[in-house]
Amino acid sequence: MPNNDDAVEKPNSERADPRVLEILVCPVTKTTLEYDEKAQELISRAARLAYPIRNGVPHMLPSEARSLDENKA
Amino acid sequence: MRHVAEDLAQRLSFVRRRFPVAVNLGAHHGLVSRRLRGLGTIDLFIDVERAGRLLAQCDGPRVLGDEEWLPFRTGSLDLVVSGLTLQFVNDLPGTLMQIRRALRPDGLMLAAMLGGRTLHELREALTEAEIELEGGASPRVAPMADVRDLGGLLQRADFALPVADADTLTVTYDTPFALMRDLRSMGAANALNERRRTPLRRGTLLRAVEIYAQRHGAANGRITATFEIITLTGWAPHASQQKALAPGSARTRLADALGAAGQQTGENAEPPQLHKPVEPPVSKG
Repeated sequence: MPNNDDAVEKPNSERADPRVLEILVCPVTKTTLEYDEKAQELISRAARLAYPIRNGVPHMLPSEARSLDENKA
Repeated sequence: MRHVAEDLAQRLSFVRRRFPVAVNLGAHHGLVSRRLRGLGTIDLFIDVERAGRLLAQCDGPRVLGDEEWLPFRTGSLDLVVSGLTLQFVNDLPGTLMQIRRALRPDGLMLAAMLGGRTLHELREALTEAEIELEGGASPRVAPMADVRDLGGLLQRADFALPVADADTLTVTYDTPFALMRDLRSMGAANALNERRRTPLRRGTLLRAVEIYAQRHGAANGRITATFEIITLTGWAPHASQQKALAPGSARTRLADALGAAGQQTGENAEPPQLHKPVEPPVSKG
């Protein structure tokens, strides 16, 4: 790839380790998460929560998760 | 902390095995993980920590998470280690159960935590000073679990081959104030909810310091503080592990193994010669 934009440090440029994402589940319901790569979120349909990934670090605290229901309203 | 990292590394080095996926629960600033990575037996070592500020100092793959809300798939981990974190957990039985579930069959948990004898000098001094000067005591040092209780908890969480062992560390400080400053810097100031909300009064604190220095002063004018470190070891159950046989299923007699002269035992035994045979109790009516 000739375009070398990625070399510039972007605030959220770091990617989470796929081996880690593979074994993460929702801490509340222990169900499988959907990875939204664009939004950098791990979505738990069962708990209706989205856990943010910041700089490649998944934030798996229910208190920091975004509620999916609020978004719809 | 360094002592704990060293101890965990040593214990782990006795386990001749590779760990494809390991997690450090309550990684603090990554000291334990750095030491254990040095063993070279762990392929993927994930640091889990609740405080983002500490997690940022860890250098492996990181997950911001809480020990009481484990975010790992059932049976996905080969090893869970923890260095001086589990004493702060509110629901320890639940946390151990979650750890056991996240472990693969035959996966290992190795966790060091502070035990009940930790800081008993400080606890005594503060309690006595408060009773003396304020007519009542409030918990200032968090309660910590006892080694026997912890062994029981491991069993209840269904760990195989559970072991809880205690190690006592004595640290000396210049003054009780230096000890308290150190605790605060560890983020280990009083974490109890049910504590008296008012901070310690100056007079009470000074009296506590006096009591402390009187009783636990070392010869060189320094004071001593005890840290009890309890290490929990347990394996997720697996068919290959040794298990106790059912009582009565033995196929060789202990007497044979000991080379003792044949003496009938068990149901076929003759009544002992030295005592009168005991009549079995007969219930009337």
